[in-house]
Amino acid sequence: MRLWLPLYGTLVLVFLCLPVLIVAPMSFSSAQSLEFPPPGFSLRWYAALFGNPVWIEAGRNSLILATVSSTIALFCGTTAAYVLVRGNFAGRAAVEANIIAPMIVPSIITAVALYIFFARAGILGSFGGLILGHTVLSVPYVVLVMQSAIRSFDPRIEQVAATLGASRWQVLTRITLPNIMPSALAAWIFAFVLSFDEVVITIFISGTHLTIPKRMFAELALQVNPTITAVATLLVGCNLIALGLLMLVARRGGVAGLVRP
Amino acid sequence: MTLTHHANGAGAIAPPAPRRRQGWQMLLLLAPVLVLILTVFDWPLLQTMYWSILDEDTGRLTLAHFREFWESQAYLRIIWRTLRIALTVTVVTILLGYPLAYWATRLSSGARFVVLGLVVMTFWVSILVRTYAWIVVLGSSGLINRSLMGMGLTEKPVQFLYNEVGIVIGMVNVLLPFLVLPLYAAMVRVDPRLMQVAQTMGARPMRVFWQVFFPLTVGALVTSAILVFILALGFYITPAILGGGKVPLVANMMDLLINRVANWNMAAVVSVVLLAMTLSLYALYQRLRDGRT
Repeated sequence: MRLWLPLYGTLVLVFLCLPVLIVAPMSFSSAQSLEFPPPGFSLRWYAALFGNPVWIEAGRNSLILATVSSTIALFCGTTAAYVLVRGNFAGRAAVEANIIAPMIVPSIITAVALYIFFARAGILGSFGGLILGHTVLSVPYVVLVMQSAIRSFDPRIEQVAATLGASRWQVLTRITLPNIMPSALAAWIFAFVLSFDEVVITIFISGTHLTIPKRMFAELALQVNPTITAVATLLVGCNLIALGLLMLVARRGGVAGLVRP
Repeated sequence: MTLTHHANGAGAIAPPAPRRRQGWQMLLLLAPVLVLILTVFDWPLLQTMYWSILDEDTGRLTLAHFREFWESQAYLRIIWRTLRIALTVTVVTILLGYPLAYWATRLSSGARFVVLGLVVMTFWVSILVRTYAWIVVLGSSGLINRSLMGMGLTEKPVQFLYNEVGIVIGMVNVLLPFLVLPLYAAMVRVDPRLMQVAQTMGARPMRVFWQVFFPLTVGALVTSAILVFILALGFYITPAILGGGKVPLVANMMDLLINRVANWNMAAVVSVVLLAMTLSLYALYQRLRDGRT
């Protein structure tokens, strides 16, 4: 028991981290094939990546999509979280369940539903439709993060401001918002990463628009191209930077829940 | 006393907004998310349900699509395969995840930080990256096969990819953190004095574990296992890449129905079936979770 538990635990941990441990060294390989360990060091796959206008375009699209959708999600999600925590009305639980639903319903179902809906509405393959799809998917996460932030913020401070004559709007903009700023930043990073990594819905509704994960998925289905290892390594790097930022923000502002469901 | 008095005095000068006005303000704040969810989520889902019972030629409602679904061997076979793989994945995830979480609780705080940090980190790495790497590891000239052949354990490369084995490995890898993290959270809540008491009463370590610790964490194990099972049911990317199109699961079948053969009715039927399975399991999950706390 004393001996096998650390051994077994370490092996499971290695299994868990293996993909990351494999992909990063491979991206610096000098070989044409997917050999591991790589026979030599080179930056050729990064050169191939940045020299390819298709990848550049996909990267630009992904950045725009993630920025816009996470910003809309932050706005909608924060106002909703505020009402859900502070408001007291009939059907509150039902409204909350509905807002959280896109997180629980498998994204393949959302993808099919959006496909049918957008096709009927004539906006299938539009960039605007894609933004809406990504926003719906990240709103639940924003709501969850912001709800816990607002809940942990003492409502009496708001009440004092209100009794001192501040309007509801003033209370919101001058008292509540500055206090929940760190969580808002965390929620935004969350939403950004979710959108940046999203594949399933994008494949269904993006039409001819490319994103990095969509392009990656298409390449994987066709052949094994080492350029993907460079993309993957960059993605891992970006995700870890986002995680680091989030932990930094969390330490400063006491954000609960770093886990991405 | 002075505080209430002061508050009352201030309230007298500027009375709080009347309830009805407050209600309108709340509705206004809720409006953006409601518009978004109602139009881009609820309505599309309702439309999908409608398509599952719509007869396109006559415009009438029909159950013919559901009948076709039940009578067709192909659809049911894929549903069964999905359930079987999801169950396998859940069992393997438990076998790997429970000891890992337990091990983490018994580490020093520094080592614990590293272990949990690694688990959280994998959570944050794109699922495409995590799936892709297995092609390199499991391929016929991949890391595992070359090691096996190097050690003389096998003559020909073992086929891990493009079959159920590869899919299970890839899915377990992606889903493991969903089990380990909530399980770990439940394990650290167990009072260590309970085990100490059992030990001072003369119970051997194995008995302490199975009779005291395990029963206290089995509830969390069941709920997180249900969550893993639910997530496994809807998997699309891993079976598409590691199955190479040879082992389609429900999600891949839906992709085929929409993007290849454009059979919206059948895609809608499969959506409704998968949705019903997911939501009923989720209801069970919530019930068990609420019952525990």
